[in-house]
Amino acid sequence: MTRRIELGLLYSRSGDYSLISEACRSGSLGAVALVNADPDIDLTFVPVERDPGGDVDLYAPLCDEILRQTSARHVIGCVTSWSRKEVIPTLEASGGTLWYAVPYEGFEASDHVVYTHACPNQHLLPLLEWALPTYGRRAFLTGSNYIWGWEMNRLARRAVTGAGGQVLGERYLPIGSVDIDRIIEEIEATEPDFVLNSLIGRSSYQFLRAYHDLGKRDRRFLPQTRPVLSCNMTECELPAIGSAADGLIAAGPYFQGGGTDWHGPGTFGSSHEAAAFAAVWELARLLAHRPGSEALSLSNLMRTDAAKGSRIDHQTHHTALPALIARANAGRFEVIQTHEAVAGDPYLTHPRPARDIRAALRVVS
Amino acid sequence: MRRGVRIQNLGGALAVLLHRPHPTVQALTRQLEAIGLNVAIAWPELPPTSLAADFVFFDADMGHSAQFPWPEGEPPVPLIALIGSEAPGRIEWSLLAGAHAQLLKPVGDSGAYSALLIARAAFDAQHAMQAKIEELQNRVNARMTVVKAVMRLAARGKSEAEAYAQLRHMAMAWRISFEEAAERIVGPDASDERDAQ
Repeated sequence: MTRRIELGLLYSRSGDYSLISEACRSGSLGAVALVNADPDIDLTFVPVERDPGGDVDLYAPLCDEILRQTSARHVIGCVTSWSRKEVIPTLEASGGTLWYAVPYEGFEASDHVVYTHACPNQHLLPLLEWALPTYGRRAFLTGSNYIWGWEMNRLARRAVTGAGGQVLGERYLPIGSVDIDRIIEEIEATEPDFVLNSLIGRSSYQFLRAYHDLGKRDRRFLPQTRPVLSCNMTECELPAIGSAADGLIAAGPYFQGGGTDWHGPGTFGSSHEAAAFAAVWELARLLAHRPGSEALSLSNLMRTDAAKGSRIDHQTHHTALPALIARANAGRFEVIQTHEAVAGDPYLTHPRPARDIRAALRVVS
Repeated sequence: MRRGVRIQNLGGALAVLLHRPHPTVQALTRQLEAIGLNVAIAWPELPPTSLAADFVFFDADMGHSAQFPWPEGEPPVPLIALIGSEAPGRIEWSLLAGAHAQLLKPVGDSGAYSALLIARAAFDAQHAMQAKIEELQNRVNARMTVVKAVMRLAARGKSEAEAYAQLRHMAMAWRISFEEAAERIVGPDASDERDAQ
């Protein structure tokens, strides 16, 4: 007999980061469709959607609504760390679980959250370990004015100065601001070897367009010599940027046409889509053929036999993921380097592995 | 003084929880293990091995001074109070015990990481300040010895300023402190007078 299990979806379909929300939503719904069509899985998911519309203050009440008004105990959702931190007290109060499918800055391991995208030892550190010897050790750091930008730049500053490099500037913009002229002028004046861009949404698009224009005016700032690096840019946002994204270097666990099958069956438009698909697919695997398990808390669910051998770590609830480094070109990412999967280390308390000698170095012509 | 927060080497650090069996202990253990620490639980006494711990969490509600295997108020590791009852008497006792940070009970999903960093920063600051105070105290105690050494050098026909400069050069040449150089010149009997201060 097939069990009908309600599954919360909490993504903003409008607002500053809706392209990412849509990619995650599409990955979640893709997995739901595949689960529901699979005769070997004794459950079907019934999505229960709420749309906070990009308003951070609506996430907690709408998450609470899902957990109280429906039978859903699991919610796939949230894009910004800010919104994730808003819903955690609600999850704690109701014993619900959030599946979070977006790269984030680490330093969290909630008992009520599964992290299916990368944290800094899976994106920022491999990216800098590659970029410093490739481009140089003089960095410029930008970010949106909230925890993601602040913490990414704090970690980058430590990594860069720890390697004997220099941070030439560190600038923030409020979420949604497109006031990037000053940052461009400072980059022009300081000539960094690379720019780490942790801006999000429109700020990021505007910055990338302006930096691209700078490169056209002044050859010193072409991406071949002084690239922009990113840990949150995926294919899902490239259409908003157009050719100005060409030459952008990004790190992530998946790019179209690259990587391993950690996410489950299928190919995806972006790592956001893949990580959200992986969340639903893994949840289905944990619940399948165990009637009643849909009511368990995350910590109890992780104690079941099904959780043995899961890619989700039992202590941190982070996912073992590969790290791919890729360069944007004509609306796609071309993978430059692949590091094999490592466990998420959200507090960076485990030593960095020696450079993986099997990391395949593929020269992109 | 600007202090950076030390975040490295929490991995593999040992935290001892001095608390009776309780959901708070489970919740705290989960948080600490997720951060990467090893956890040992003790009640009602701290075992001698806790002297080798990197952090000690203690129950501010049911605890008492005899539980700690060190002089009262002088914990050799960062000490974190687990406070349930915010009664002033219990908070006062936590301070006397030398708590460097606190975490409110019931412990839920978060709080351990900031308590670890704050406790260690406070512990480091306390020790740095203690070392500075001891150094300054020693220098104050040696004032009489310095005066006697300068007088002894001046008695060989130098001005006070020359004698002072000569003593400084000696300290530099011997790679010891100014006060230690003075003590060498004055001789071992000087220590009696120093104590007399």
